[in-house]
Amino acid sequence: MLRPLPMKHVRLLVMTDDLPQASLTLAETESFHPDERPPEVQALAGAPGRDYRERYRQAATRLDKIAKLVDVPAAPTIDQVHVVHPDELAAVSILLRERWDEASRFEEAFRRLDEEERFVRDQEAALDNFANLKIDLGKLRSKTRFLDFYVGIVPRENVSRLQGAVQLADHILFNYLERGDSAHVIIVGPRGERDAQLDSVLASAGFQALPIPSDFTDMDPAAKREELASRRAELAGQRDALRTELAQWEQQHRETLVDARRTLLLAEPFVTLDPSIHSAGHLAMLAGWVPLRALPSLAERLEVSLAMPFDLSFRDPRPDERPLVPTVPVKNRWLAPFAMLVKQYGIPQYGEVDPTPLFAATFLLMFGSMFGDVGQGAVIAAAGWYFRDKLGRFWLFGIMAGVSSMFFGFLYGSIFGYEELLPALWTSPIHEPILMLKIALGYGVVFIMVACLLAIYNRWVVGNIVGAWLGHHGIVNLVFYLSLVWGGLSLAGSGEFGGLPTLLVLGSLGALAVYGWRHLDAPAGEKVLVVFIETLETIIGYVSNTLSFLRVAAFSLNHAALSLAVLTLADMMGMTGHVLTVILGNLFVLVLEGGIVAIQVMRLEYYEGFSRYFSGEGHAFAPLRLRRAASGAD
Amino acid sequence: MSATAQAYLNTRITAMSVQLLDAQTLTALSRLTLPALAERFALEPVLDEQLSARAKARAVEQTLIHTLLADLAVLARPMTATGRGLLLSWARKYALFNLKTLIRGKLYELDQAEIRANLYDLPERVRLPHQELYRAENVLELLRVLERGPLRLIARQARESYEQRRDPFVLEAAVDQRYYAELARQAMQFQGAEADAVRQLVGAVLDRMNLLWLLRFRFSFGFSPSEAFYQLVPSKRLLHRDRLLKLANIDSFEQVLEALPAPLDALLAESKSLIDVQRCAGAMLLDECRRTLTSGRSGIARALAYLILREHDMHKLYALIQGRLLGLPQDVVDIALDLAEPNCPIGMPAAA
Repeated sequence: MLRPLPMKHVRLLVMTDDLPQASLTLAETESFHPDERPPEVQALAGAPGRDYRERYRQAATRLDKIAKLVDVPAAPTIDQVHVVHPDELAAVSILLRERWDEASRFEEAFRRLDEEERFVRDQEAALDNFANLKIDLGKLRSKTRFLDFYVGIVPRENVSRLQGAVQLADHILFNYLERGDSAHVIIVGPRGERDAQLDSVLASAGFQALPIPSDFTDMDPAAKREELASRRAELAGQRDALRTELAQWEQQHRETLVDARRTLLLAEPFVTLDPSIHSAGHLAMLAGWVPLRALPSLAERLEVSLAMPFDLSFRDPRPDERPLVPTVPVKNRWLAPFAMLVKQYGIPQYGEVDPTPLFAATFLLMFGSMFGDVGQGAVIAAAGWYFRDKLGRFWLFGIMAGVSSMFFGFLYGSIFGYEELLPALWTSPIHEPILMLKIALGYGVVFIMVACLLAIYNRWVVGNIVGAWLGHHGIVNLVFYLSLVWGGLSLAGSGEFGGLPTLLVLGSLGALAVYGWRHLDAPAGEKVLVVFIETLETIIGYVSNTLSFLRVAAFSLNHAALSLAVLTLADMMGMTGHVLTVILGNLFVLVLEGGIVAIQVMRLEYYEGFSRYFSGEGHAFAPLRLRRAASGAD
Repeated sequence: MSATAQAYLNTRITAMSVQLLDAQTLTALSRLTLPALAERFALEPVLDEQLSARAKARAVEQTLIHTLLADLAVLARPMTATGRGLLLSWARKYALFNLKTLIRGKLYELDQAEIRANLYDLPERVRLPHQELYRAENVLELLRVLERGPLRLIARQARESYEQRRDPFVLEAAVDQRYYAELARQAMQFQGAEADAVRQLVGAVLDRMNLLWLLRFRFSFGFSPSEAFYQLVPSKRLLHRDRLLKLANIDSFEQVLEALPAPLDALLAESKSLIDVQRCAGAMLLDECRRTLTSGRSGIARALAYLILREHDMHKLYALIQGRLLGLPQDVVDIALDLAEPNCPIGMPAAA
């Protein structure tokens, strides 16, 4: 489980006519991760799928635009898998263009209704203003013998220019109201030959005339408002009718659209593969990464599905290709939530140890020991179960963290902070603080040692032998650390650091210093300074990193102390007060301390663990797939 | 902008301005062969035998634009959001060239590949959402798509104009008008010491554009004063709103030139045609840019001045290479480079 799934680099040579079928077959196997590097052979300069891709994208865009208006399932069931030939794709594209022409009319009609509704609102605003003006606006309705009137709305940003433009046509513009992006204006001027010029400018300025009612002078504003309200209702009715019409249209074309979606999904693998396909004449080459265990079935499927001859060859990844090889993620239900947390840091590079199982085990161990309580653990587990729909795959994380907390709760004999209700299977942390600190320190030493061993292994397997010996957290570093621990233990026991540990510490530090010196390209003074600081940093780093694990014990003590404080407060109250204080206190401990403990554990995992051995610079295996719903799910 | 950033920017501009071409350099360049030009300006496509002359010219143009926009990226880096906004607004003209290409392509129902071949490949900060725009089925849909992005004001104006008049000219005029209005708006965002210098320079850009558009709309296209004025963007320098109103109301080309404020009146007194005006107005703008670059104190104004001059150099270089690619005679190339024509009174080689 710690080792990556072995991968092979695959090269598939097919005839260009067989490319759509080959793509479809590869997608069906779900085991081919495309390699998009340009081919090493110069002759393979052709890109045979370009036209197909263009046609596909055009059709897919049309369908996506339609899907914004009506419901078209993104991944319907596909019962009959078949190759989509360019002609079929072209026909679907033309069909979708016709459907989009129809659908876009609905879209445009909805927009018109929006604009008309906005216009009615503008009219209502204008009505309020007209009602306050002390002139007979009824006279503005029509042009008089000598005067022209234009009452309407223009976009605000055009008002200033329009003002100048109408001025040149001997008119004046009065901006009497600004609302949103629109300005309400009245333009007045003498009638004459400049009318036509003004009409052209008004059109350019996006002027919309506001109709003034014929009976405005006599009309009750309330009646006019009612008229506008009925216009609004009419527009709402039109909108409903349009929705009904759209629903009918959707019903009528649903099957066609779903079929088009199926065709596009079947064509998608070839389009996705396009950057990995290179050709010369009638011969095309596909390159990618395939898990070793999937190779036989892949070859078998190609044998069955391809009509023309093909050549499938594979090889191990070269050392220089290692960063390009995708890593197959862990597929274990129980490890899935931990894999998500590991992914936040990075994806293991091919060859690197996948830290997920180790991460899961150490996370649960540390979380439980820092937050050991049967009752509170049960609440965490129950919350994980209760919110399982909302938490997705993460709900198992809650269950496991809760169970771990309960397990340590039994060891500590703690339930909701009470330590006298349950006999401790081991001991309560608050009664054995020194022991807890010693265990935490020992755990830290083991944790750091394992992390160093993994770092050494990761380098060794990729052939970086020098790095495994002398790199950060390599063998020499580990020798130094273990000697330091040995010496420290001797010092604590017998009062002396010991000769051999001293020799080993000095020897390993000396080796690291020489290695650092040889790899520095700087003047001698600078080298001395850098090597000295790096050596000092190595010593301080390992000591402080080990001491960092004392927090595991500190939090277990903190947890017991906090619970004790809550219970002391509760004991100072009456029965109701006691119960309320215990409930609220436990909630406080669960939310605040639970959160802090989770963060601290993550910090230890990421900083003390991952930073030593896990580069996280890999990329996930993303095989070519045929997107479709499971049969019967459409 | 902090004093340190201002000092850094000014030093950068001064260092970069040594790349600008003076008259002697341009004359020397005009005598170089195509391979020598390609080597000097790293224009490899020119030497690619597989490409047609049109493809070579296109590749050269693309490379030159990239060079210009790379300079812009370097200069914009230490600027505040306002300064950066001004430079990006200025550079957005290339995105608008693409927009016009797309609009024309959709109007005349050109093949997507053909439309794409005529688009500039631009950096992300300047470019339009191409993929979505390609897929639009017609002009109105294209403008609707644009209305959802940063060019929404331009697109809305263009769509409304187009919906009312169905005239591609109206559409493109609206796009151009909004471009300059946005540039003017950006210039007005500045405060303090930068404000005057930036407004002066942007004013010079707008003055040139207003003068050319006014003369073109009034006397070449026969627009009414109202229609012509509506397309203009008043500047804060010479051709401000009231002056444009007066000029738009004049009925002859010569009278407009006579009514221009100083120093435009003296500069253009000898101009007989729109071509003459174009050349002299261009020279005036370049002169203003050179003055800003050499003696200005505002880093942002100097940066914009540098970019305008650099763009001018790129145009010259492109004209020179295009001349070579088409095998044009040297005297024709010299005319294109303004090396063979009489200069404007301002004494500088004129802008194209």
